[in-house]
Amino acid sequence: MVTTHPRKKIEILVDAPLLSRIQQLAKDAEVKGYTLQRTIGGEGGQGRWRAEEVTGGAGSKVVFATIVDEDTADRFLSDLEPLLSEYGLLVTVSPVEVIRGERF
Amino acid sequence: METLFSPVILFFVLGALAAFARSDLVFPEALSKALSIYLMCAIGLKGGVLVAGNGATVDLLLAAAAGLTLSMTIPLIGFFLLRGVGRLDPVNAAAVAAHYGSVSVVTFIAGDQLLSDAGLPPAGYMVAVLALMETPAIIVGLFLARRFGGADMATAGGSLWRETLLNGSVVLLVGSFVIGMIIGKPGFEPLTPVFETGFTGLLCLFLLDMGLLAARRLRNTRSLTVRLVAFAIIFPLLNGTLGVMIGGLLGLDVGTSTALGILGASASYIAVPAAMRLALPKADAGLYLTMSLAITFPFNITVGIPVYTAIAKWSV
Repeated sequence: MVTTHPRKKIEILVDAPLLSRIQQLAKDAEVKGYTLQRTIGGEGGQGRWRAEEVTGGAGSKVVFATIVDEDTADRFLSDLEPLLSEYGLLVTVSPVEVIRGERF
Repeated sequence: METLFSPVILFFVLGALAAFARSDLVFPEALSKALSIYLMCAIGLKGGVLVAGNGATVDLLLAAAAGLTLSMTIPLIGFFLLRGVGRLDPVNAAAVAAHYGSVSVVTFIAGDQLLSDAGLPPAGYMVAVLALMETPAIIVGLFLARRFGGADMATAGGSLWRETLLNGSVVLLVGSFVIGMIIGKPGFEPLTPVFETGFTGLLCLFLLDMGLLAARRLRNTRSLTVRLVAFAIIFPLLNGTLGVMIGGLLGLDVGTSTALGILGASASYIAVPAAMRLALPKADAGLYLTMSLAITFPFNITVGIPVYTAIAKWSV
C-alpha cells in the first residue's frame, strides 16, 4: 500500500506579461516548485481571447500550477489576494494527494 | 490606388475577410512568431547595409531628433484628447496614449515595401529611427499615469525596465541594424536569397496572419466606443501628416518623409502592450490592443500609407 500525503494544488491563470510577478510572489512565499502551461484561448468577462505571441504576449495567458503544503498555500494565497481583481487572475485551489510528501 | 492592389495589402485584406467570415483559417503561433523575427532581422539588416554604404549623415541625426520628439509629444497630446474627447480615465488614457507615441514595426515594414515598389525607397537610417521611437512613449505614458492617475509602478521594478529597454523587437532591430552596418553590402550579398529575395512573399504571409488577428480582435471586443474608434482613425492621420510635414521641413526626400509620417501615425502592438500590462495592470488591455491592432493598424495599412505618401508628394 503506497502512503500518500495531503497537499494543496494552486492553479493561476495569469496574463503572460504579469507572470514574472507571480513567480516573485511564489518565491517570497517559499514555494519550492511550479509548472507553467501554455493556453490556446478562452472566453470570460472581458470577452473572447486567443494566445497571440505576435503582440508580445500581452493578449496571451499562462497557467501557473504548483503543489504546496497547507502553510505555504496560506502564505501564497494571502499575498495573491490583493492582486486578484487588478491583475485579472483566476485562482483555483484543490486538495490533492502526493506520494513523495517531502518534495512539496 | 495601386497600393491597395499590392499583394501585401491584398493578403492582409484576405486575412481580415476570412476572420470576419468566421473561417477556420489559423496560423500556427510558432510560425507567426518566426515570421515576425524574420521580418525584423531583414528590415534591420537592410537599414544597416544602406547606412554602411552612405555613412552617418546630417539627415540621419535630424530624422532621429524628429522621431524622438514625435514619440515624446504624441502621447502628451493623445493623453489629453483621450481624457477630453475619449472620456477615458487617466490610467487608461495614459496607456492608450503610450501606444500611439510608440511605433508599429509591421506598419513601417509594409510602408517601406510599398514605397520601394513605388520608386520612393525611404533612407536606410529610418530603421534606426524606428528603433529609437519604440520606447520613449512608454516612459511618457507611465509618467502621465503616475502624475494624473496616481498609478504606482514601484512593484513593476526591474522587470519593467528590462521589458522596455530590452524588448525583443528592439534588440532584434538594433542588433540586425548593427550587423548590417558591420558587414556592409559585400557581407550582405550571400544573405540576399533569404533576407531579400524571399522578403515580399514572407511579408504577404505575415500580413495574412495580421489580417486574421486584427479582424478577430475587432469581432471579439467589448470595450470600444464610437469616440475611441474615431480617435484611433483621426489621431494617426494628424500624426502622420505632422510627421510628413516635419520630414519636408528638415529637407528629407519624399520616401523618407513619408516613412517619418508612417512612424508618427503608427501605434505599437508589440512592445507597449506587454510593458503596459506589467506597469499599469489596472488599464484595460482589451482597449489599447484593440485600438492599436484592430483599428489603427488596418487603417494605416489600407488608407493611411497612401494618404501620407500623397501628402509627401504634394508638400515635399
